[in-house]
Amino acid sequence: MHKKMAFSFPDEVLEHVFSFIQSDKDRNSVSLVCKSWYEIERWCRRKVFVGNCYAVSPRMVIKRFPEFRSIELKGKPHFADFNLVPDGWGGYVFPWIVEMAGAVPWLEEIKLKRMVVTDESLELIAKSFKNFKVLILSSCEGFSTDGLAAIAASCKNLKELDLRDCEVDDLSGHWLSHFPDTYTSLVALNISCLGSDEVSLSALERLVGRCTSLKTLRLNRAVPLDKVANILRRAPQLVEFGTGTYAAELRPDVYSDFAGAFSSCKELKSLSGFWDVVPDYLPAIYPVCSKLTSLNLSYATIQSPELIKLVSHCPNLQRLLVLDYIEDSGLEALASSCKDLQELRVFPSDPFGVEPNVSLTEQGLVAVSSGCPKLQSVLYFCRRMSNEALVTVAKNCPNFTRFRLCIIEPRTADYLTLEPLDVGFGAIVQYCKDLQRLSLSGLLTDRVFEYIGTYAKKLEMLSVAFAGDSDLGLHHVLSGCESLRKLEIRDCPFGDKALLANAAKLETMRSLWMSSCAVSFGACKLLAQKMPRLNVEVIDERGPPDSRPESCSVDKLYIYRTVAGSRFDMPPFVWTMEDDPSLQLS
Amino acid sequence: MSDVELQLCLALPTPDITKGFNSNNYHGLGFDHLKQTSCFGDRKKRDFEQALGNFSDECNAMPLLLWSGQPNEEDDNHKYRNKRTFTIDDMNDAEEDKVVGWPPIKSWRKRTCHHHHHHERAAGNGNGNGRSIYVKVKMEGVAIARKIDMRHYHSYQHLTNSLISIFTKNKKCDEHYNARYTLTYQDKEGDWLVAGDIPWNDFITTVQRLKILRLNLQTQPQTGPE
Repeated sequence: MHKKMAFSFPDEVLEHVFSFIQSDKDRNSVSLVCKSWYEIERWCRRKVFVGNCYAVSPRMVIKRFPEFRSIELKGKPHFADFNLVPDGWGGYVFPWIVEMAGAVPWLEEIKLKRMVVTDESLELIAKSFKNFKVLILSSCEGFSTDGLAAIAASCKNLKELDLRDCEVDDLSGHWLSHFPDTYTSLVALNISCLGSDEVSLSALERLVGRCTSLKTLRLNRAVPLDKVANILRRAPQLVEFGTGTYAAELRPDVYSDFAGAFSSCKELKSLSGFWDVVPDYLPAIYPVCSKLTSLNLSYATIQSPELIKLVSHCPNLQRLLVLDYIEDSGLEALASSCKDLQELRVFPSDPFGVEPNVSLTEQGLVAVSSGCPKLQSVLYFCRRMSNEALVTVAKNCPNFTRFRLCIIEPRTADYLTLEPLDVGFGAIVQYCKDLQRLSLSGLLTDRVFEYIGTYAKKLEMLSVAFAGDSDLGLHHVLSGCESLRKLEIRDCPFGDKALLANAAKLETMRSLWMSSCAVSFGACKLLAQKMPRLNVEVIDERGPPDSRPESCSVDKLYIYRTVAGSRFDMPPFVWTMEDDPSLQLS
Repeated sequence: MSDVELQLCLALPTPDITKGFNSNNYHGLGFDHLKQTSCFGDRKKRDFEQALGNFSDECNAMPLLLWSGQPNEEDDNHKYRNKRTFTIDDMNDAEEDKVVGWPPIKSWRKRTCHHHHHHERAAGNGNGNGRSIYVKVKMEGVAIARKIDMRHYHSYQHLTNSLISIFTKNKKCDEHYNARYTLTYQDKEGDWLVAGDIPWNDFITTVQRLKILRLNLQTQPQTGPE
């Protein structure tokens, strides 16, 4: 009966139905229903997401989805953000561009995260895809403004160029001039990461002036405040804006020029930038504050009183990024002003200082959890915490989806009881049933991992550092967290036993990172041998792992599932077990 | 990648004393009592033991001695160093060790923070605060320079190993097959010198730029800016 129904619809009808299904998860489910649905779905999938660029080869992707228009690729492991992955590890996009240039000429969108992008890659993109529209590079590196010039010059239909947190070799501000005078389709431009070299302001002004659909503009630090007015006046339709340096001479004419330009932007919902803030210039943005939903002040080195004044003007704020200068008092003010707050990130102003330089403690977090009922996502750096506070936060915010706490000094105990923070984090996973992402810190024993394994059934990503007592901790997580996709661990006494006992689990996950733990090279070899669909990479700059005893711990270990086999672009300090002749015998 | 061999010639200083791993940082021994009182304790431990199957030898908690035992001072191979306790201060320095990648803050954010603090703090607060030191690295014959953070490395060997990796990515390196190179740097006084003569800690405070020069077999390397 079911079979008959499946075949009774012509393909076009099914294709039309599938076009309403956007999420990858759902499309993957659709393709599993039956062979004909698999076939129909693969021909009409327009967006492809590859969470690990080494899990599959570009040819495999193109073979299965011949007609995609948008691709998202992720490269290096997350801990690369914190310099734990040596330069040259991998994540090169060029091979992907080469394959797609030939086979997917109608490609419109490329989104990359933590990948190495060369000027050559950018030039090839510019040359190969006639209808190219969106380039989003997030935490990427390896390219210069020359590559950007190529994109600007050739991509006539470009709508978005977003360089988030990239390392760009800023050779010349003149790449902007490569956008032809006839080019007007820009909708989003984010150049906030570009270095301190100058950007060609006149080219920028002209570009902004002729692109009347421009909605997002994030400038880099080099753009002076007194020039921003000219830019804003040309783009009163902006919805998202990032300033350059927020410092200028205290002159009434400069101020009123700037303030006037700002108030002409009636659609602004998101602000960022704010480097080098001169507090006297802050009131210039008050007129737009009531509409703001997103505010990134994480570069603004302004003190709590100014921050309090600012946030009290923003009743509709949903997302706030800020430095810990805001202090507990500022967070209390936030809690009473911003009832719609969904996401809060508090960064440390002095991460390497031993003594606290600001009065930001667990109290601020508790206040926000209590005052902001919609709070879902938290990233919080602080220097002290208590189980009591964490339990309160958990009870206040059962809707948390992301909770990342970083107590700056490793292995810091509950400051009130001197106990580990197991119970506090246990409460988080117990009350927040939809928690998808969790980062732990402070003094933690194996017990916290028992709690996590027992309660955190929706947890997809877990970050662990300086925690646990034994392999039992790792075992709890690997055996209990059913939804786990990414696990990253550093400086924990986890070794071979838990890893080998849960080897099968690793194939259900995207990746596992373990550095400065206690996994032996022998265990890595065994794992690689038993699990052919995993790539087991040992990253060790001390030299070949087989020059030391097999029981020696490896420095860093990165394990990921793959259908593409071993990769070909490994640098000298990455070892996979194929190289080991002793494995050939079994 | 092993086809292309670059050898960076250095006058290597005698190796620094490897800082031994401090096993006092682990608290595993003090919390056995927690394991016993946990209501999950017995059941989970049995499951764990069962799951071990063929892979297990013994089922007790992993002795932490395994962890602290390597690589240690007995290791002759001074070329490779234990990176686990990353530190760039002198042995005489009273400052505490800084751990690589902790706290977990992205490098561009650290750069901004410390740019601010650099102005706030008194001068003379030297290496210990973890501030990034970015220098441009250029390799002779390669168009694009790279920027690296000197904080990421803790020895000349580590630096040269990494530079080899970085620059062998460039496809033009076919012509560098089996070539020999010298690492040079520009110091605070503006002079170009061959890297490796001064202690690492002094090196990172004085280095302004790096350049990798190709060695002519007939002549000495030409040191100097391009």
